[in-house]
Amino acid sequence: MLLFREGSREAFEELFSRHHRAVVRFAWRMTGDPSSAEEAAQEIFLRIARAAPTYHPAAKFTTWMYTVARRTTLNYLRDTKEDGERVPILSEGEAEDGVYPLQLPGPDDRNPERVVWEAQLTERFRTALGELPEGHRAAFVLNRGDGFSYGEVAQVLGITVQAVKTRIFRAREMLLSRLSKDVSA
Amino acid sequence: MGCRDIRETISACVDGEASPEEAASVREHLASCERCRVLERQMRAVGAGVRQVRGRVPDRFREEVFARLESEGALPKRKKAFPAAWRWAAVPLAAAAGLGLFLLTSREAVRGPAPPVPATAWVGTSAPHAPSPQGNEAALSTEDREMLALLDILEDPADLDPNDDAEGMELVAPGDFADSPNPPRGGRSGA
Repeated sequence: MLLFREGSREAFEELFSRHHRAVVRFAWRMTGDPSSAEEAAQEIFLRIARAAPTYHPAAKFTTWMYTVARRTTLNYLRDTKEDGERVPILSEGEAEDGVYPLQLPGPDDRNPERVVWEAQLTERFRTALGELPEGHRAAFVLNRGDGFSYGEVAQVLGITVQAVKTRIFRAREMLLSRLSKDVSA
Repeated sequence: MGCRDIRETISACVDGEASPEEAASVREHLASCERCRVLERQMRAVGAGVRQVRGRVPDRFREEVFARLESEGALPKRKKAFPAAWRWAAVPLAAAAGLGLFLLTSREAVRGPAPPVPATAWVGTSAPHAPSPQGNEAALSTEDREMLALLDILEDPADLDPNDDAEGMELVAPGDFADSPNPPRGGRSGA
């Protein structure tokens, strides 16, 4: 990124080659559909390029990149919401303090350990993921999907490690609840 | 600790983010709670599920991103090979400059510090302020003359390139040989 900031086109090409798959995958998990993911992923790279002149390596590049990616997808989702589609987004405060009246599946429900590995349920999982509040989805996707530690997720989202821990737990609760309902329906 | 209180810690434990103390309390709880053991397995499974949502890179994604960047002027133009070649030419040029400096230094070292010129040194020559080469040589020893003759040879470009084929030589950066068994002609493109 520093080389790109100095005017090296080759540096940006290398950066793109290394990270475009991860960016597309993240956008897909956050937006939930291919066309939205493509638009958001393009926008992410545009923002990365535009931000180059002011880029300072205060954190790891990937942490910074995912911060840009998350903000871009969040804006994209907000724009989509304003256009009339229902996209579950909570403000930071709501997401931290929100209480969800969830009923966790009991031991008699079908075991999601087998369920989620079945290919035909991937679509249901994607839908359930899309129904999470954006802040919870981002935390869960970054940790479980992209392998970020709680500390790194906290950096990307700008929240505390404890808040990350809570969001990821809530995300699991909601996903398990949603998936068990799907299976029993 | 009750089930409700420990569930968040179970989630952190599944992610490898629990402290040793927390992990120990989770193990202790799971050993005696069937319901939470099931929940722990479910939490692991749902974490694996997110990795099944992969998506795919759209066709022409790269082309479209780069086209948009270029239309915005956010991407530097490709550099031509010429400036890169000059950049690599700096290495041998610097080496040549170093050699020249070495020769000059050697010359001084061979001569040593200039001895004080005796007042009689210019006796019989045309003028002290415009000494002729012949006048200088008259004051040199045989050994000095041999050394000067050697230096004259080294400083004559014709002696460095007796076959006059320097024009056909090319400047090659040290790294160029590492990339390929057949060194490329000319400088590196920089692409």
